[in-house]
Amino acid sequence: MTKHQYSRRFFLRSSVAFTALAALPAGVKAFYVDVENVVLPPKQTLPLKIKVNKREYEVLADSRTTLLDLLRENLGLTGSKKGCDHGQCGACTVHINGERVLSCLTLAAMVPGQEVTTIEGLAEGNELHPMQQAFIECDGFQCGYCTPGQIMAAVACVKEGRTGSVEEIKEFMSGNLCRCGAYNGIVQSIQKVAAQ
Amino acid sequence: MKIIDTCGAPPPADGRVEAREKVTGSGKYAAEYPVEEVCYGVFAVSTLAAGKLKSVKVEKAKEAEGVIEILTHLNKPVVSGFSDETKIRESRLGLAVFHTDRIFFKGQPIALVVARTLEEATYAASLVEGEYEAGPFELDFDKARRKATLASTGREKGSPEAWSQAAATVEAEYTIAAEIHNPMEMHATIAHWVAADRLKLYDKNQGVNNVQRTVGRVFEIPAENIEVFSEFVGGGFGSGLRVWSNTLAAAMAAKMVKRPVKLMLTRPQMFMLTGYRPASWQKVKLGADREGRFLGGWHQAMNGTSTYEDFNEWITGVTRLIYHIPNLKTEGALVPLNLSTPTWMRGPGDCTGDFAIESAIDELSYVLNMDPVALRLKNTAIDKHPNNGLPWSTNYMNECIETGARMIGWEKRPSKPLQLLEGDWATGYGMAVGAWNAGRGYASAGIVMQKDGSVSVRTAMTDIGTGTGTGMRNIAHEVTGIPKNRITIELGHSSLPAAPSQGGSTGLSSVSGAVVAVSNDLKTRLAEYAAGINPAFQGLKADEVQLTDKGIALKTNPGAVVSYHQIWEKNDLKSLELEASSGPGEERQKFAFCSTSAHFAKLRVNRRTGRVKVEKYVCVADGGKIINAQAAANQMSGAVTGGIGMALMEEMLIDARVGGLIANDLAGYHFAVNADTPVIEVAFINKPDVNINPSGAKGLGEVGIIGVAAAITNAIYNATGKRLRDLPVTPDKIIA
Ligand code: FES
Ligand code: FES
Repeated sequence: MTKHQYSRRFFLRSSVAFTALAALPAGVKAFYVDVENVVLPPKQTLPLKIKVNKREYEVLADSRTTLLDLLRENLGLTGSKKGCDHGQCGACTVHINGERVLSCLTLAAMVPGQEVTTIEGLAEGNELHPMQQAFIECDGFQCGYCTPGQIMAAVACVKEGRTGSVEEIKEFMSGNLCRCGAYNGIVQSIQKVAAQ
Repeated sequence: MKIIDTCGAPPPADGRVEAREKVTGSGKYAAEYPVEEVCYGVFAVSTLAAGKLKSVKVEKAKEAEGVIEILTHLNKPVVSGFSDETKIRESRLGLAVFHTDRIFFKGQPIALVVARTLEEATYAASLVEGEYEAGPFELDFDKARRKATLASTGREKGSPEAWSQAAATVEAEYTIAAEIHNPMEMHATIAHWVAADRLKLYDKNQGVNNVQRTVGRVFEIPAENIEVFSEFVGGGFGSGLRVWSNTLAAAMAAKMVKRPVKLMLTRPQMFMLTGYRPASWQKVKLGADREGRFLGGWHQAMNGTSTYEDFNEWITGVTRLIYHIPNLKTEGALVPLNLSTPTWMRGPGDCTGDFAIESAIDELSYVLNMDPVALRLKNTAIDKHPNNGLPWSTNYMNECIETGARMIGWEKRPSKPLQLLEGDWATGYGMAVGAWNAGRGYASAGIVMQKDGSVSVRTAMTDIGTGTGTGMRNIAHEVTGIPKNRITIELGHSSLPAAPSQGGSTGLSSVSGAVVAVSNDLKTRLAEYAAGINPAFQGLKADEVQLTDKGIALKTNPGAVVSYHQIWEKNDLKSLELEASSGPGEERQKFAFCSTSAHFAKLRVNRRTGRVKVEKYVCVADGGKIINAQAAANQMSGAVTGGIGMALMEEMLIDARVGGLIANDLAGYHFAVNADTPVIEVAFINKPDVNINPSGAKGLGEVGIIGVAAAITNAIYNATGKRLRDLPVTPDKIIA
């Protein structure tokens, strides 16, 4: 990357700074030639208390860490998948306080005090969640990589009451891409659970 | 024939062997293995399309916290297989990452930053800058193809004069934009040198033995010193058939920092570092007599490639596969561009060529004023392979077409465009067919039985989502009689019995023969042991005995059982391990083999906005015996979904002036989401091909996508009267 191509994280952290910069006269702007170093300072760590799947974790997290990377790289919860890291595919879908959220667009620093549920926390012990069972029965996957995200979104989709028709399910599940194209089975799984 | 309902057909809760791991998130994909001391690698890539890399400025990045090392072409430890130009060429890896100062494309890795954490590596990689000597570049396929020279791609049949007086002729050009595989799991590797010459790789690919061999060649260490884990693979579609820079760079870096290195490509990097289906241009001329019998064809095709490697998609092959065309000429050419090297992508070549041929036939049907179904049925080469003349072992193309026509309600199709109008919407029907030479590779499978009667069936082959493992279990169950819940599957690991890569629809077709063989071996071996306990088992063949959860029984007298317990005690066994291999043989000299498909689409086109809504889609395929109906139907509907993307949205966007890709992420590159597809209807002929392999199964992965694009554009013509020959057919092209 050159310094003219900023990462998404950079924008997240720097949008406030940029708004301020835009208001400055050109001469002052020149002062911030190497703007990266201003708004993307060297590493900062924060101690965080985070609750995932009803379990408390105390972590020292990099301020740049997303919830997705925290789960996958630090907590060993690799069930949530990274398919784009940009909020474009849904593979990283988790629940925060029962609602579907893209964990790659959520900074770890935003979740203390909230209830995070990942695919690993969906089953009750050995008893699969009905949606997980339905995905098995309806073959709602092929490679399985989008599946945790699909299932978390599907559970939310049913809860949101967006299962009135095949079209409605398809519309409200379109934030979760499946390159294998297992959409037939995904829709059927949701219909099955919605009917229960 | 059976129309497969993808939900609930087989016993419920049965599912795939790995289903539980997939729905609970416990299955480990490449980047997810816990490896102690692992650190993170992130690529910094070239911002230039061509030229020379003079230096790489790493000073700032080096100062960033957490950085362990920065690997560039200047400081890398030389990998012996890349030590000179000749060796690089012989490695057949194309891009010898970090072993050249030449820049071939924008996005080429120029450095690998290794740091303690992913955040640190990502940040530091953003501080790396290349210093280049810019060179000339070309990324405009349409411009560059005009300089390419066509050459013959196969024996010419007959002569052009023979059909110069054909009653009906069509001639047109077709183009397809480059497409990117974009499996949902980005390519990733964890490389761990456990000794100076022993490497563990947790890697995303479609063939562990291929990775082993290739990496072994590059590092000049024996293949068996490399252990490859690919137990869960998040899709491939061809992108995992080669070894790419992420695997090599992770291994180089791990060697340098003496720690395991994890490297997962970013989504934008997936657009240039793991292959793609190249852009293509085709010209087709087709002639027929008044009754619709094909008299002659001329198919020309070109595809893009890189400037450092030739990749030929062999687009014209399909023209010599489906129909009898007595006079036929095919030509091809490659068009080098400053992009990375393309690779096989689902239905490579055939999928591309089929779009042009199946469009041209549709165009011809309107000239002849003949139903496209009838026109095809008149010309399909169902007696023998039109190119090599061998009789087909089985060819059910016509049955596929007839069944599909029934399922879609083809009789409702208007024979002229613009007949079914409702406000801005026009409805149309279209169809096309697809075919794929059904291959088979040499593969091995093992079986390990325990005293309690449970067995593990194993192979090194990966399961990229096609259901290979489940298919293996089903075959082992069918052959031995052992209940399915007593059979576990192990696959995707290089120390298991060797198998070819999973590509070209050969996966199950190859390994199923080995599973049948080893299952039969197990039965005969157990019969021999049983004979020592009960003489009734003396000299029995595999098909005369049956295995149960408790022991071995006579088929003629299921009451006569010798238990595994007895056998194990008597022979003092720990476990029983067998391995068998199977591959193609002389049947290949006697027969030709193909999988076929027929595609039917009914869609609506908004003539004001250009929106296309596929309302109903039917795909009927012949893949021999269907081993796992649910997974097979899933694979087919998934392939159709891919084809809908190819037809309507998928497009690598290039800025030829800047010299690179734009919109290279999943917001900029569209493939079909759930709402872009109807519930896709799939049916199979489901008749075993007894010659291809002992299981009778032919591959399905490719034929599901071959034919989709033409079925869609043919339906758009039927709806609107617009013949669209350039994919993807985005709304702007429809309203233009
Ligand atoms: S990884 Fe979060 S949306 Fe793709
Ligand atoms: S199952 Fe492979 S991406 Fe959805």
